[in-house]
Amino acid sequence: MTQMTRTSNPPLTTPITGGVGESPLRPDGALKVRGEFAYSSDLWADNMLWGVTLRTPHPYARIRSIDVGPALALPGVYAALTHEDVPGQNAYGLEHIDQPVLAVDVVRYQGEAVAIVAADHPETARRAAAAIVVDYEVLEPVDNAETAIFGEGVPKLHEGGNLVRYVPILFGDQDATAEVVVSGTYEVGMQDQAFLGPESGMAVPAEDGGVDLYVATQWLHVDQQQIAPALNLPQDKVRITLAGVGGAFGAREDLSMQVHACMLALHTNKPVKMVYTREESFFGHVHRHPAVMHYEHGADRDGKLVYVRAKMFLDGGAYASSTGAVVANAATLGVGPYNVPNVKIEGWGAYTNNPPCGAMRGFGAVQACFAYESQMDKLAEAIGVDPVEIRLRNALSEGSVMPTGQLVDSAAPVRELMERVRDKPMPPARTSEVDIRTMPGGASNTTHGEGVVRGVGYGVGIKNICFSEGFDDYSTARVRLEVIGGEPVAMVHTAAVEVGQGLVTLQAQIARTELGVQRVTIQPADTSVGSAGSTSASRQSYVTGGAVQSACAAVRAEVFDLARERFGVSDLALEGGKVVSASRGVLADLSDVLGDRAVEHTREYRHRPSFPIDPLTGQGNAHVQYGFAAHRAVVDVDVDLGLVRVVELACAQDVGKAMNPDAVIGQIQGGSAQGLGLAVMEEIQLSGAKIRNPSFTDYLIPTILDMPPMTIDVLELADPNAPYGLRGVGEPPTISSTPAIVAAIRDATKLALKRIPVRPEHITGT
Amino acid sequence: MRTFSYVRADDVDAALRAITDEPNAKFLGGGTNLVDLMREDIERPDTVVDITRLPLAEVEELPDGGVRIGALLRNSHLAAHPVIRSRYPMVAQAVLSGASGQLRNMATVGGNLMQRTRCLYFYDDAAACNKREPGSGCAAIGGFSRSHAVLGASASCAATHPSDLCVALAALDAIVELRSSRGTRRVPLVDFHRMPGDTPEIETVLADDELITAVELPPPPSGVSRYRKVRDRASYAFALVSVAAALDVQDGVVSSIRLALGGVGTKPWRAYQAERALLGAPATEESFRAAARAELADAVSLPHNEFKIRLAESTIVAVLRGMS
Repeated sequence: MTQMTRTSNPPLTTPITGGVGESPLRPDGALKVRGEFAYSSDLWADNMLWGVTLRTPHPYARIRSIDVGPALALPGVYAALTHEDVPGQNAYGLEHIDQPVLAVDVVRYQGEAVAIVAADHPETARRAAAAIVVDYEVLEPVDNAETAIFGEGVPKLHEGGNLVRYVPILFGDQDATAEVVVSGTYEVGMQDQAFLGPESGMAVPAEDGGVDLYVATQWLHVDQQQIAPALNLPQDKVRITLAGVGGAFGAREDLSMQVHACMLALHTNKPVKMVYTREESFFGHVHRHPAVMHYEHGADRDGKLVYVRAKMFLDGGAYASSTGAVVANAATLGVGPYNVPNVKIEGWGAYTNNPPCGAMRGFGAVQACFAYESQMDKLAEAIGVDPVEIRLRNALSEGSVMPTGQLVDSAAPVRELMERVRDKPMPPARTSEVDIRTMPGGASNTTHGEGVVRGVGYGVGIKNICFSEGFDDYSTARVRLEVIGGEPVAMVHTAAVEVGQGLVTLQAQIARTELGVQRVTIQPADTSVGSAGSTSASRQSYVTGGAVQSACAAVRAEVFDLARERFGVSDLALEGGKVVSASRGVLADLSDVLGDRAVEHTREYRHRPSFPIDPLTGQGNAHVQYGFAAHRAVVDVDVDLGLVRVVELACAQDVGKAMNPDAVIGQIQGGSAQGLGLAVMEEIQLSGAKIRNPSFTDYLIPTILDMPPMTIDVLELADPNAPYGLRGVGEPPTISSTPAIVAAIRDATKLALKRIPVRPEHITGT
Repeated sequence: MRTFSYVRADDVDAALRAITDEPNAKFLGGGTNLVDLMREDIERPDTVVDITRLPLAEVEELPDGGVRIGALLRNSHLAAHPVIRSRYPMVAQAVLSGASGQLRNMATVGGNLMQRTRCLYFYDDAAACNKREPGSGCAAIGGFSRSHAVLGASASCAATHPSDLCVALAALDAIVELRSSRGTRRVPLVDFHRMPGDTPEIETVLADDELITAVELPPPPSGVSRYRKVRDRASYAFALVSVAAALDVQDGVVSSIRLALGGVGTKPWRAYQAERALLGAPATEESFRAAARAELADAVSLPHNEFKIRLAESTIVAVLRGMS
């Protein structure tokens, strides 16, 4: 990793520490490790009530009647509310307003909220919810995306039918032919974000008739925009403050308990806290879209791609959530980071009675990458070259054109990323004196090396960074500089959500670098400042980072005005708490210049605009920035017992600028682990549109024994369009780790493995 | 969770009196399974009798070379005990391959025997389950059946027994000691758990007024012993297939064999048919495979668990090959 060079030489002042490019300790780190961090589930108010949700056990049913009488009859119960009690619009949604706050006459997925209860004890509330009598007419669920759209006699789950969005991408010659053709159908199971902090928050009724909501979420203002109409309140009477977030990964982008808690609080005029149980959490948030993808790649005899054709079906479940954008991502990024002259990709997002699917780290790019990378390996085999070589021959680069017609106008080091992971030294071969925990089967004493075959596989992926397709994607920052206790202190206030990725730390780093002050305080994120947009799409360092930088620049400019007035020089800088001049050196302490004045500015930051894609051809400059990562996976497979041990993951990623190198490494490790989970174990098991494994005992995520050591190369090829040249980090490593691991298992077993997660029975057969 | 009374017993007689007086009572050991099931509203005792202070947590060496393990010994202490580790390594391996360090620190030997299935439908109170609601049917048969049993299932139930320890105990001919106000009786571990038949809700031969006080292990079988477990991730997961084996080979011939299976049976599955096939047979891969097939000849699969039959065969062969 390159080192950041800072300030002038020699320094005029004692430089501040913990600026951009450094890795200061995060303020929440020690608290979290010690179990002292206050999560949203720890909220407490005197006199509060507990809210509980009654959910339907049926994936699809008509509601004939709901009787809350038995719940209200229980002592300690303050409210039992149904759709009739929703004060305003009984509907919300991120892209389509299609999901009821509480079900009216139909439920469309198992776990849909039907009624809510508040009581003076959580157990009382649970019993009251269980006492509510709902009479259902159970219907046969629609549980397949393709059937939902194209099947005959399939019930329409929503008024407009079962198609959420169709996205075609037509580029070049649709009838192109090629000498070498490979095809395959690939499937991705439903992955869960598996955050550890369940959905939770507390709503407090306010004297002005409004409500204050403290909640773990990903995007305060989009919550506010959806909650206010449901409560029939103006937006400024729904004030939201971020509570401690225990992970998100996309699962908190949609509403969960927000409106329910507010309804109960306004109804009872008491604070109401809601905390989902782990099981309930599986029904309380959207998941990653399961996908079925049919691919055909055509190439010349040298392996240069001639065309890619694909049809991809993504199961959006019962409500749209962000399915439309996920389908667009899968389709627009559907050929991967490769130059392809002729493309025909069609993506469909469907309504079914499966659990709703929406945002999850990688957002459509994950599913497509598993398919196109599997195809690239198949093509390499057909041509007779190695998997790295086929990728190098087709690698996208700066100046390439995407199948949407969009020019790739900043660094796209696909070739270099591949070469870097290829050239990493291989992990040592197994020896007989190996710790069995490092063998397939882990701590289970399953093998001591017999029947174990090693495999190596590669994957490289592409992800759009920031919101796409013309969305007005911005963030707002308020920065205040004043003297506190004789020292200049910067205060940064945004509505940007810290989900554990380190944004609070980064905002302080930016303020330190921009204002040359050591002390920075970060205000709690709330809706009293303008929107920061979502903590998703790998966008917060870029967009909120840009807003903080821009607000700092406005503050600095005002300080310079003061300094110019006083010292009559204009070659000014802020360094180490001093106002300095390039020509005259240190002019004064910043605190002197500020006096008792507070300099404060609020700025919005927008990245360059993106544009909608043509609905018939998929052409358009839909994306803002592309991120790339490549992985090499080395696996040991016990071919007799179907067990996989990922021995090592090597990753190379371009991050434009490592704003906080430790956080970058953390994102790459965490993203790679989440990709490993999808490759070999993580799946919400559905049967009859019902979730069969809603617990962390039955929904398996990787443990530290499943996660191998990583070698990581971080490239810093600046994007001139982005603040500090940075490129969003969070999602790309999730995308390419999955296909690399599956490719390595294929290399060891010679099996086709067209579905993820790969389980023991897929390796052993039946 | 429903309300319940809590009683703490200071000695075995008090515990037995408490359970006799109260028909719908449960003993509380480590609570790692019972409390979970109470939270899920699957276990609904009116009274919980806390027996954790009873003096039943010793490992005692017996004159015949066996050991007597107190029923309240914590799993982590069992796995760490020098006598267990040296003479019955299979037991220590089985315990250590189950659950997590935190759970093993709490869970007791007696509780392990009483552990209930992790069948996904048993835990889903909206699904039919004969074990949870006798007579309601079995949603697993015809549902998602990947984790289910291929040996010992009935038309009423195909749930697997979840224990690792019990598989090792089955292989070692362990004896369970049961006490009640009527006296003490000794039941072989292999007879302690029942086949589901038409009454899958009755899982053991333990009477309502009985307490498990100890598990006795006869002197260890000759040769080497091992416990191996195949599961979906490297730790913290139930077995897809597990094998407990003790093997002695003299002059290339199997002179002693104990074999038991986990993850595939409705109870800890002693593989008698495989043992019969192996005893006196040459210690070769062919014999191991033939024995495994003999045991699995009666296996019946559901739509999603067919793989377990082949996986069980492969695991048996791999374990025996590794020991011979």
